[in-house]
Amino acid sequence: MKRTEKQAPRYAYDTIAQRLRSEWKVYLGALALVAVADLIGKKEISLGVGALIIFPIVYALVFGVALGPEALKFFSAKEVKAASGLVLVGIGPFIAKLGITAGKDIMTVFSAGPALFLRELGNLTPIFLVLPIAIFLGMKREAIGACHSLNREVNLALISDVYGADSAESRGSLSVYIVGGLIGTIYFGLMASVCASTGLWHPYALAMASGVGAAIMMAAASASLASIYPAQSEQILAFAGASAALTSILGIYVGLFIALPLSNKLYAFLEPRIGRITKAGRRAAEELEQERAAAKEE
Amino acid sequence: MAIRYREWLMLLPLVGVGILLANWVGYGVNALDSLPGVLIMLAIAFVAVVCTRVIPLKLPVVAYCSLLGMLLASPISPVSTFVVEAVEQINFAAPLTIVGAFAGISVGTEIKRFVKQGWQMILISILVMTATFVGSACVAQLALKLTGNI
Repeated sequence: MKRTEKQAPRYAYDTIAQRLRSEWKVYLGALALVAVADLIGKKEISLGVGALIIFPIVYALVFGVALGPEALKFFSAKEVKAASGLVLVGIGPFIAKLGITAGKDIMTVFSAGPALFLRELGNLTPIFLVLPIAIFLGMKREAIGACHSLNREVNLALISDVYGADSAESRGSLSVYIVGGLIGTIYFGLMASVCASTGLWHPYALAMASGVGAAIMMAAASASLASIYPAQSEQILAFAGASAALTSILGIYVGLFIALPLSNKLYAFLEPRIGRITKAGRRAAEELEQERAAAKEE
Repeated sequence: MAIRYREWLMLLPLVGVGILLANWVGYGVNALDSLPGVLIMLAIAFVAVVCTRVIPLKLPVVAYCSLLGMLLASPISPVSTFVVEAVEQINFAAPLTIVGAFAGISVGTEIKRFVKQGWQMILISILVMTATFVGSACVAQLALKLTGNI
């Protein structure tokens, strides 16, 4: 873990006034983005098999990027750096709300039995199956952020807290978060139907698998299952709901104590072995070496 | 880079304004109705920051936020009803918009890297979703069998 503040902590600014002077534009800009994004609101684009859903956070993200120094130049590179520290300030209250929602359901979840707890371990699957592929394709630390979990809000929050919002790990996590947010609902509905049609799994197992991520993914997947197995629809919705509630309680701790250490270990083992086979992988490794050397000279 | 307590006390209300704004513009909840919930969320976040400095465990701020929120809302908490009702006024996605805004601004210098990894990240995202769902279904199947539920 990166953040070791053994010595006296280093502060970005000497006084609050100094912080205000150099960051006021980011504050007002962010509030303006909030107003615009929520004014547009959630949009659903129907695609036949389901709907592509765009949440206000996506507009805020995209417009925020667009205002940056590489596009519209409203924000300077220095302001961009300031914003990455502010992500954590925004995330804290959000996670507090998730904690409260989870705390309310805590008894329901504990009474649901051990199978649900074991199911949580299924969330580690991408670390074993997808992380190696990402490393092989030449991704570096982005791969850890991208593959350590399904990268819903909690996971994104954890990654930006542990590694910093401007880290490679956060870049990976954010990418999967965005793609998942855009197509996750359709994709989960689709996966549930396809898996159900194979007959390999019990409907309850699939119901529990529906509750791995965002509430909206769970809703889409469990709705597909409920319509395929109408006789068991009530239990399916209950299993899916309980599984989602448990993920919301345990997600952050599974991420912190299991998924991240495991991903880091596996990355350290695999990257030197399979991470430099492709040209992109070798080039990224060289770039990292150069960055490290440059940082040392400073 | 560390943030001082008094800086948190200035920045958290800024985020609070962002949440009030999103909850009002996006979901039609007026600021006065949202205020108690927002204040509770901000207070938890601040106490979480204090926890990271005074408790010698190396846990991130978000872990304390989650833990404190759960404790306050769980049946053992004397204020759980009030806390849950106040925070229920805040729509799930409302606090996220300002996070998105900060996150978007903060990656403004990395557009090129994002574009370069675009197709790979889409592929990886789909694989991550598939692996999580199918892996969880397998583990669940096994767990349900072991516990005699199916």
